[in-house]
Parts: sequence; C-alpha cells; structure tokens
Amino acid sequence: MGLTQSAPKITAQDRAILDLKLQRDKLKQYQRKIQVILDREYEIAKSYFAAGDRDRAVIALRRRKYQQSLLLKTDGQLENLEQLVSTIEFSLVEMSVLHGLKQGNEVLKEIHREMSIESVEKLMGETQEAREYQLEIGNLLANQLSVDDEEAVQEELRQLQVQSTQSEFRVKLPSVPAEQPVAIEIQDTQPMLSREARERVPVPG
Amino acid sequence: MQLTTHTTPSGFLLPSIHAAHAFFTEQPNPITQNTFVNNWIQLILSYARHRRLFVIRVEDAEVAGGDWDEVLRNERINRRVIPSYLTSLISAMVSRDLAYYEPPKQTRSVVLLWRLPEEWADVLHSWGTATGQINTILTMYEITDPPVPSPLSGIPLSLLRRAITVLTRSGRAQLIEVADGEGVRLLAGGK
Repeated sequence: MGLTQSAPKITAQDRAILDLKLQRDKLKQYQRKIQVILDREYEIAKSYFAAGDRDRAVIALRRRKYQQSLLLKTDGQLENLEQLVSTIEFSLVEMSVLHGLKQGNEVLKEIHREMSIESVEKLMGETQEAREYQLEIGNLLANQLSVDDEEAVQEELRQLQVQSTQSEFRVKLPSVPAEQPVAIEIQDTQPMLSREARERVPVPG
Repeated sequence: MQLTTHTTPSGFLLPSIHAAHAFFTEQPNPITQNTFVNNWIQLILSYARHRRLFVIRVEDAEVAGGDWDEVLRNERINRRVIPSYLTSLISAMVSRDLAYYEPPKQTRSVVLLWRLPEEWADVLHSWGTATGQINTILTMYEITDPPVPSPLSGIPLSLLRRAITVLTRSGRAQLIEVADGEGVRLLAGGK
C-alpha cells in the first residue's frame, strides 16, 4: 500500500490553516497560564490581607486586574483567529462544491456532445427510411399475387362478410310459419273455467 | 487469612489477591512470581483504564498521595509495593509491549498501553468521523485537549504520535509539519 499515492498533497492552504490553528492553540495555552496567574494573585492578595498587609494586597489585586485585561484582549484575538479559521474552512467547502458543479457540468456537456441534434436527426431519418423500406417490401409481396388470385381473395372476403351478416339475422328472426293458422275456440274454455270456480265456492276447507 | 475483594473510593473493584500479603513482595518461587506478575500487570492496566491514567512512575511507589495509592498500597493489610518491585513490574510490562518508557532511555516512568497504539488509532479515527473532522487539519493540542471531552482527552503526545503513525501507514491520516508545530489530517480512506 503506497503512502503517497492515497494521501492528498499538502497544499499551501493546508499549511496556512495549520499555522492559524497552532496560533490559536498557543493563545489558548496562554489564556490558561493567565488564568493560573489570576488565581495565584488572588491567593497572594488574600494571604497579605489576612496578614494585615493592606498595601501589598492592593498591589497584588492591581496586578490581577492587569492580567484580567490581558485575558480579555486575548479573548478578542482568539475570536478573530477562530473566525478566520472557520472562514477559510468554509471557503474550502465552497471550493469543493464549485469543483463538483464544474465536474457535473463537464459530464453533462460530454453527454450532450454525444446526443447532438444532427445525430438525432440522422437517427430519426434512418428510422423513417427503415419504415418506408418495410412498407415497400409489403407492397412488393402484395403485388406478386396475380389478378385472379386477388379477385379470389376479394371474393373470399365478401363471403365472409355475407356469412357474418347472415348469422346475425338467423339468430334473431323467428322462422316463417309453414301451416295455415287455426282459429282457437274461445267459448269452449271459458265455461270450463267458470265451472271450476263455481265448484270451489261451496266446499270450504 | 481472609481474602476479599474491595471497592476503592474511586469505584474500582480490587481483586481478592490484592488483600494477600505475599502479593506485595517478590516471590522466590518463579512460578508463583510469574503468576503474581501477570496479576499485577492486569491490575495496573485495568486500574489505569478505570481512572484514565496514562503514566505510572516508580515515584508512585516511593511517595504516597499520588494517583496510584489505591493499587500500590493496601492500608487494610498494611502492605505496599516497594519501588524496586514496581521497577521490575514496569520492566515486565515494557518487555510484553504493554507499556513503553517515556521519555525513552530511562526506566522510572512509562506510558501504559491499556489500549494498543492500533486500538488508539481506531479510537482516533472513529472520533474524527463522529465529530465530522475528516479532511480537516487538526493540531495535536486540539486532539489531546478538545473543548468537549473526548475518548482521547489527555492522551500523551507520544502515544498519540504512535496512533497517528499507525493511521498514516494504512492511509487513514496524514501528518503535516510546519515551522512551529505539526498537525494531522484524518482521511476517510479504508484500511
């Protein structure tokens, strides 16, 4: 496994960022040191005060105040540094976004180059040609039939049509009656019905 | 003689052997001695892991009041590890690659490897991944003293360097050196 081939190159930006961060770390360490001094001066002032040495206690407190102002100043500087570092880091992110967009654009261009209008037109033309060719073949095949054959085909088609219409009608229409119609005697059935009804009445249940 | 486990004020459970008088002195029988050394090494490393202690010094056996009193001293049976015994324990650990002399070329102080450099490398890399610091440049101070405590807080610089060396070898980190310091860039690359 290669050491150099997988690792990205260390650029000047990287060094600059590292330098800034190192500076920031130094400031942080400096702040820690001041904090220790602050605590110590406070202890000193307390012990002087306890011993009754007011003046020295005041001096110690004054020194403490001075260190405190230093601490405040370094806070400001630290903020500046941190801001700079994060700005640089953000710019790097922006740069990589830009790079990504650029690459995407390149790919899109490449694809478009392969899909140029001319080639699409050519392709469509070829398709059209192929279709026409197919039609021609169909026509050629059709024309190879003789006139008689064609007529026979047409006749067959006509018969098919006739058959289909005939079968439709055969189902629907009743057949023509073959015999003479006979008159039904209505008078004969009427009294039979009334007789039955009359018989039923006197015999209930 | 009653041997019981004991929980120290820092919440560490001392094994029952720690209550044995013989455990605190070198034994003439080499087999017994070997067992005791194994137990001592295990005890020291697990206590170090428990308290996140990275260093043990011969001085810890000489003077009371250090981080190691709970292990090196047993007031209940009035026993303690004498400095020469601790020296031999330390050298046993160094010979088994469970510690290394730091600074080198002396035998009074070691960095304990309750995680091997390879394991620390993994810890470092997964910390970097979890905190989204892959590809950013980190200073050593940033890793050893992060504003938010991490598994790597307080790791000795020499140990951190070893872990980074492991990572650079597998292409997962890159060391950057400038005039007044050095930094490291963690890389996403696989093993």
